[in-house]
Amino acid sequence: MKKAIGIAPALAETGLLHRIKAVLGVLAAGAVLTACGGGAETTENPLTQAPNPGNSVYTGPAPRDNDVFQFQQEFWSKARTSERCGDCHNESVAQIPMFVRNDDVNLAYDEALGVVDVNQPSLSRLVTKVGGGHNCWVDDPNVCAEIMTTWIENWLGGNVAGGGRQIVLQPPVSVDPGASKNFPDDPSSFETLIHEPVLAEYCAACHSSESPNAQAPFIADPDIDTAYAAAKSKINLDAPENSRLVIRLRNEFHNCWNVGCAQSAQVMEDAITAFANGIDPTTVDPSLITSKALRLVDGTIASGGNRFEEAQIALYEFKTGSGTVAYDTSGVDPAIDLNLTPDVTWFGGWGITLNGGKAQGSTTASAKLFDILQESGEFSIEAWVIPANVTQEEARIVSYSAGETTRNFTLQQTLYDYDFQLRTNETSLNGDPALSTPSADEVLQATLQHVVATYDPINGRNIYVNGALVTNTDPVPGGTLVDWQDTFAFVLGNEASGTFPWMGTLRMVAVHRRALTPEQITQNFDVGVGEKFFMLFDISEVIQAAEQSSYILFEVQQFDSWAYLFDKPHFITLDGSTPEDIPLEGLRIAMNGQEIRIGQTYATMDRTLSASEFGELGQPLSTQGAVLGLEKGPEDDEFFLTFDRLASTSFNRPEDPVAVITPTNLDAQARIGLRTFDEIGATYAAVTAVDPTTPEVDVTFQELRQSLPAVEDINTFLSSHQVAIAQLAIQYCDAMVESNPTALFPGFNFNGVDEFGANRDAFVNPLIDRIMGTSLGSQPARADVYAELASYLSGGGDRPDNLVDRLRAGGSDTRAIAKGVCAAMLGSAVTLVQ
Amino acid sequence: MALVGVLLAGLATTAAAGPREQAKRMHDRLAGVPPTIAVLDQMETLIGAGNESGAADIAMQNPSFYNVTLKNFASPWTNREQSVFVPLNDYVATVIGMVRDDVDFSTLLSADLTYVGQGAAANPAPSATSNAHYEALEANNVDLSDTNLFNSTTQSSVMGIPSNATAGVMTSRAASEAFFVAGTNRAMFRFTLLNHMCNDMEQMMDFKLPPDMIRQDVSRSPGGDSRLFLNNCIGCHAGMDPLAGAFAYYNWNEDTGRLEYTAGTVQSKYFNNDLNFPPGFRTPDDAWENRWRQGQNAYFGFDESLPSSGTGAKTLGVELGSSQAFASCQVRKVFKTVCLREPEDATDRTRVDEITNTFRTTGYRLKQVFADTAAYCMGS
Repeated sequence: MKKAIGIAPALAETGLLHRIKAVLGVLAAGAVLTACGGGAETTENPLTQAPNPGNSVYTGPAPRDNDVFQFQQEFWSKARTSERCGDCHNESVAQIPMFVRNDDVNLAYDEALGVVDVNQPSLSRLVTKVGGGHNCWVDDPNVCAEIMTTWIENWLGGNVAGGGRQIVLQPPVSVDPGASKNFPDDPSSFETLIHEPVLAEYCAACHSSESPNAQAPFIADPDIDTAYAAAKSKINLDAPENSRLVIRLRNEFHNCWNVGCAQSAQVMEDAITAFANGIDPTTVDPSLITSKALRLVDGTIASGGNRFEEAQIALYEFKTGSGTVAYDTSGVDPAIDLNLTPDVTWFGGWGITLNGGKAQGSTTASAKLFDILQESGEFSIEAWVIPANVTQEEARIVSYSAGETTRNFTLQQTLYDYDFQLRTNETSLNGDPALSTPSADEVLQATLQHVVATYDPINGRNIYVNGALVTNTDPVPGGTLVDWQDTFAFVLGNEASGTFPWMGTLRMVAVHRRALTPEQITQNFDVGVGEKFFMLFDISEVIQAAEQSSYILFEVQQFDSWAYLFDKPHFITLDGSTPEDIPLEGLRIAMNGQEIRIGQTYATMDRTLSASEFGELGQPLSTQGAVLGLEKGPEDDEFFLTFDRLASTSFNRPEDPVAVITPTNLDAQARIGLRTFDEIGATYAAVTAVDPTTPEVDVTFQELRQSLPAVEDINTFLSSHQVAIAQLAIQYCDAMVESNPTALFPGFNFNGVDEFGANRDAFVNPLIDRIMGTSLGSQPARADVYAELASYLSGGGDRPDNLVDRLRAGGSDTRAIAKGVCAAMLGSAVTLVQ
Repeated sequence: MALVGVLLAGLATTAAAGPREQAKRMHDRLAGVPPTIAVLDQMETLIGAGNESGAADIAMQNPSFYNVTLKNFASPWTNREQSVFVPLNDYVATVIGMVRDDVDFSTLLSADLTYVGQGAAANPAPSATSNAHYEALEANNVDLSDTNLFNSTTQSSVMGIPSNATAGVMTSRAASEAFFVAGTNRAMFRFTLLNHMCNDMEQMMDFKLPPDMIRQDVSRSPGGDSRLFLNNCIGCHAGMDPLAGAFAYYNWNEDTGRLEYTAGTVQSKYFNNDLNFPPGFRTPDDAWENRWRQGQNAYFGFDESLPSSGTGAKTLGVELGSSQAFASCQVRKVFKTVCLREPEDATDRTRVDEITNTFRTTGYRLKQVFADTAAYCMGS
């Protein structure tokens, strides 16, 4: 039982197609369905091949048809060089298969057809052979596999529009979810058993953030949390001997210490074993309703193949995952491989994270861009980026430049904008003025984005983000690239000088020798980035269907270094059965023996499984994705599904507990406080009987309003508050006295001469009573207040000690004294404090 | 300054309070201004007779209780800065009116209600496009305790939106301008939670909730690190986004200066940055779900007789306004206003609980809460 899905858009009835049919003749067991992944139709672009100076001149028969011509152009001419396949697989050495024989390209073509998989080029014998290390011409065999795949795809892509291919869903091995050891939250055991005795001892010279040669992963970092997080994916708790930390030493001889690799590996394995032995396995709750289990790598690869790549001349997918080189896997020579500085780390699920460093190619290799793009006169920069923040400025993302002020082109970030600088005969040598995305739109976000910068002389520069054109018309007319320099370096994440670093992650970068069309950009955006798998979770047993017939299908990928993305769940059968009316409620994803705690997007699912809703991938159950934390890594994490209800079985899920709030006592707080601004104003108006809308007081109040106390807390009182209070009090008292308030102060003549000499009580006593109240133990003693204001106490010396007499001694008239005494009383604590 | 020092020193040595001092404090705290001697005498008598509530009623007859105390009580709720220095507006006016008229305060977030000036105080007229009406009320020191000068009307008639689109102060002009402007409308939910449930989002983080209604604009890997999402963002958004769906049809139009309501059409702001995470939730309508009824946040005490979901802001306002947390929050805010401090020990908390229960069981009259709290904090 298997099912072929997606992907074979109309094959042209070419000679190649007939040959493919003849060679394969099978693969028809499942239905061939229409395209998946949203790939748009591609347009044919003529490809002008860059000269390959290393080749000898071919003098054999001409290609017999276009298929062979494509083979010759896209595959044979690249693979035949002596440092690759041409040294052996030729007619002279006669190493079978002779797919790069020099005497007759038509014969070479016939040989090659036997070792390629036209449906899935990455599975071709040619690819798996070099990927396994067979005479790979760079350090990383996977890079050779990538390049070989690209050559084959380019060859076939000439005849197969959209890079169509088939994916065959086959039932995975049926495994019950098993008990699994999980990493404890507390890193102390790791620290004691692995970090201190082994990692810090033997690996810290490089794998520490504090090392002068800092090299990720920081498994030996002095910060134990950092080291623990980095080491988890390198440790296999269930099979310590399969830990990456062990394999790296035992099989790959990576910096073994002085006891030799075998013994080094044994030390590491023993340490991991001791650590793992201290962890009790997590057993699966038997009451759960579960699917069968599988790992990410047990899934069927779902990604790739539909990108528009026909004009691609440099490609970085960052699949290597370790080391200090990011390889150009475009297959177009010369490869501009990039050297990574220590501040660049590998990103889980393909990518590099730039933390101030850069990835730079040699100027010699970088000249490929000069050679090809100056000839084409147009180009595109394509990248999947994750800016680390939206605060960096002039931060170079992709640059072909010599330094801060000299460049051929640069794509950079400034806050929320992407900037595109390009040197033409219409711009400066620094590529200015730049074309930027509109700042107000805040196009750039600190999340995964697909950005494409295109240029051609007719349309000028354009920037597309997530498939949409986001820039306005280029204000600079299109020009030529005649002023380009071939001595510049292609660099990612920084200026060539290292002075304008970009903080963020690059998950893919490509350079095309054409300005991609909007359709081609959309096509590449729709494909996405990273490796995706179809994972089939077997539920046949639970729904009482035929063995290995019924599955919940997820599209799964490693989302970043710390999480997986489970997406687009479907119900699908592989045996052609058509079940109906099966209830499904509360789907959760479990990992390593237990349900994942955070991120259960499908926990609220309430669906009925029904074959009548089957589409290409089966019955869609949700359009949503679930981001779930990574634990052991994609090779070791074991997933299964659980259900609250599936078919006739149900799980009685206990409710999450309600939080119990335990109040804590506070320190004793003041029982009194300040009147605040409006209260002060209203108080003054009340006790002086002055209308607060009186222009004089209202203007003053509005001016002072925010200078008065704003909160009641008495500890917040400032001297500036008192200044404002005094000003407002004076203004109110002025207004009161000038209104000649005889009703408030009977018997007091505001126009009298020295009225405060003998008649002061007629003013002072009502004033105190109105402002302070009467008979209040919570206010100051009335006698004390009166004494301060009006009672001559000491009787000695030149300076009276009460306010009235001090003002009289100063020559103030009655109204002025009244205002002064009023303001002193009004602006005091008796009104301020409540 | 010397006088201030003397008087402060005098205050600091205040002896135990009798009925007169208690009456003075009660009046100060409720009305914000000192009582006249006649009022003080009257209140002293009532307190001496054990009728603290009657004394408080007298204090609350002072216009300053409305024009000053209640105005400044509500003003910080109406802006993002939580500033008290904002002009009088329809949000504050509605709170003042509801307290004055003993309107069921649990309808604060759902009623089709607003308060406007009457007669001579109605110039300029209340408007959906201007706050000038309320600024004039404030500038003219209109007595808000006077029903002839200040009274209720329907919010829908002023704002020009359907009655079923009104949601109390949430759809007031002031709240709309502050919290429906630009952004994603989550601000309306967050500030409502902050102002009327007395919790900010950080206190509500529940990581166990399913994230299926978190919108597409929330990056699941901010800056390339999904740990930020899984350890922070999801805790708030998993509960908030399902609730904030209620505001899907609202937007503050900065060009027209008014609240716009697009029945049946989700505002485009709900799809801002929708490519940040395409497999996220795409808002189809103004439905909301209260995921906090289960799990740790169930201590909010939502009304079991209500459904845990609905459509539109009005039903969400009912859901929130009927909760124990809403009532408790109002009482705690009053406590802070009247007592000038937080409840600090078991005695305080017990009294707050008692006042809350009274509030919930006697028609949600906030004036009663002020009276009960003022009696509790009048000193002894």
